[in-house]
Amino acid sequence: MFYIHQSSCISHQPTFNDVDLEDLKPSENNLIHAIEPKYENVPLGQLRRMGRALRMGVGTCMKLLGTHNVNGLLIGTANGGIEDSIMFLNQIHDYEEGRLTPTAFVQSTYNAIAGMVGMITVNHGYNATHVHRALAFENVVLDAAMLLKENLDNSYLIGGVDEISVKNHRLVTLAGWYRKEPVSNFDLYKGDAAGTLSGEGAAMFIVSNKSEGATAKLKNLKMVNSNDEKFVQEQLSLFVKENPGKIDLFLQGENGDNRLLKYYTTCESLMSGETTVARFKHAFGEFQTVTALALWLSANVLQTQKIAQHFIKKNSATEFNRILIYNNYQGMQHSFMLVERV
Amino acid sequence: MSKIVVTGIGIISPIGNSVAENHAALQAGACGLTSLELFPTRYATLLKFGEIKTTNEDFKKQLGVTAKGVTRTTLLALHAFQQAIEDSGLTGEELQSADTALINGTTIGGMSESENLYLDANQNEVGSEYISSYNLGTVNMYIQQRYKIGGVVNTFNTACSSSANAIAYGARLIQNGFAKRAIVSGTDSLAKFTINGFNSLGILSSTLCKPFDADRSGLNLGEGAAFLVLEKEEDAKGKKIYAEVAGWANTNDAFHPSSLSDNGDGPYLAMQEALRVANLQPEQIGFINAHGTATENNDEKEGIGMKRLFETVPAFASTKSNIGHTLGAAGAIEAVYCILNLMHQEVYQNLRFEKPIEATGLTPVTGHTKIKLEHVMSNSFGFGGNCSSLIFSKA
Repeated sequence: MFYIHQSSCISHQPTFNDVDLEDLKPSENNLIHAIEPKYENVPLGQLRRMGRALRMGVGTCMKLLGTHNVNGLLIGTANGGIEDSIMFLNQIHDYEEGRLTPTAFVQSTYNAIAGMVGMITVNHGYNATHVHRALAFENVVLDAAMLLKENLDNSYLIGGVDEISVKNHRLVTLAGWYRKEPVSNFDLYKGDAAGTLSGEGAAMFIVSNKSEGATAKLKNLKMVNSNDEKFVQEQLSLFVKENPGKIDLFLQGENGDNRLLKYYTTCESLMSGETTVARFKHAFGEFQTVTALALWLSANVLQTQKIAQHFIKKNSATEFNRILIYNNYQGMQHSFMLVERV
Repeated sequence: MSKIVVTGIGIISPIGNSVAENHAALQAGACGLTSLELFPTRYATLLKFGEIKTTNEDFKKQLGVTAKGVTRTTLLALHAFQQAIEDSGLTGEELQSADTALINGTTIGGMSESENLYLDANQNEVGSEYISSYNLGTVNMYIQQRYKIGGVVNTFNTACSSSANAIAYGARLIQNGFAKRAIVSGTDSLAKFTINGFNSLGILSSTLCKPFDADRSGLNLGEGAAFLVLEKEEDAKGKKIYAEVAGWANTNDAFHPSSLSDNGDGPYLAMQEALRVANLQPEQIGFINAHGTATENNDEKEGIGMKRLFETVPAFASTKSNIGHTLGAAGAIEAVYCILNLMHQEVYQNLRFEKPIEATGLTPVTGHTKIKLEHVMSNSFGFGGNCSSLIFSKA
């Protein structure tokens, strides 16, 4: 599909400046909050008014665009600035639909991140925001792959971002997807309980058709919409057949929710004994665009040829040339991404 | 490259529940803008709205919706979806096939349930039935699950150009071999959230909007949905072909979060790029369905963009004078209107126009006119600088 060049990532782990994934940072109060860095290349006046998702999104983009520009911007986000949305909704209530200030409304629009980055970098090119929940980032990847078939010499900035906000956390908790009892991310995969830990973060990549200087290659992608684990397994089996070769690392999105474990075990059973199995949601938490962070982690593993012990579920391979990422969100939206060493 | 053609269309808007009703209303110069009747807001009688006068309960009965948590945005979409797939004759097997894509554009999604979102986010101890519906993916999640759509499923948000980009994405999925057919759409419903949002920006009109008029006073919000079935020309043999989707473009104005630049850079670049993709010259465009929201900013800057690109600006009009600005649905609804332009070789009146904007001197179509059309363009611009243009060609 395409090559991944520069990347940037904000997460609960030190991933933005000096990357250090060796020691897992503990969750707090069942939240896996992103550590926000000091942002550079973002006008301060604008930064002050931005909500969390917008800051993380614009901040990760601007780390990559500080020195050079791209032909277009593609962002995946399931919730955009949802905290701003609800803040604005609360203002509507509190002031009984009186005269309101538009800041929260304008910033809550899902496309505000791509729009803001386009404005700061004066980028008149392709500008897309994909919002299809847990396939938002995957559609960004597919869109970028098509753009790079249509425009062979171009490069694009792609990525995913979502925030934990107080209100959104409340909604997902009411819907029954987060752990009710206190649990540490160190123990996320132990026991037998429903629910997971919520997370947030942003990961951005500059992608093109050029192999020179690339950190990884995104070889292929498949999305599946189904709640039937047998069907998902069949689709993965097909995907593996269509992309033959040894898989060194199966990086899967297990999240400690006993209702979703069947999808991961069924898919994992297709891997051979030579494949290392690793998980990432204890480090990044659960959110719809976390696959962008899984892709960032994959590129990191392919480049450094190591993966910290806390990610490992089953150890096997010593060399990492091909990584298969499998994720599912709430048992309905599934994706496979195959990432290769350059 | 294969031609991408439209083989099915479906629409619901403030001027009609079907393609035929919309066509008759456009020919008659009907206006669907009224006071708001179906939900309480302080602005119900203070502003004009393009409201579809069917309640959610009636929609649910008509559409056979029994599931909980289905919001108005999804109901409008479902109405137009059913028309489009029937029109194109898509079978259940085709819908479930892995090469059928489903792409929607929306800006409000499940947040049309503004009251329930407020309660769930602030007070409720037990979530309402809409607890998992407050996002933009909710429309296509429901349609995908109900009809078991087997291919790529996506939701686009580029504010008011969302469904123009959904159409382009569907066309590109087919051209790049990621789908054999694409069901592409836009949908949005009126909501307290957007009414107050646009009101906070001071761009809603208390009177019927007057796109491209010197004395325009802002936009009227509307609601609706439209669906198109896209296929390759060679796969559509024996089917009714409405039009070709010949060109598309997505550019950014890169100027301001909520208004267009003085030179109309984004609109200019979008129209120019769509012509390049369609391999057409400006003079081959016979009509433009303009974005034409009737705000002070848009109509002037869009006009400036058109004048930069076209030596002689072609006939143009804004159907927002009939139905208001349907936000994420606008691109898809106006795509259906462009198809009607091409099918019937006619253009429809830009209602209530009196006096040209001084900076452009442009006059839109002021009456229902028969006209020879080969290629028509549709513009959709949104917050965040998102500008898109589509070109449809006669089948």
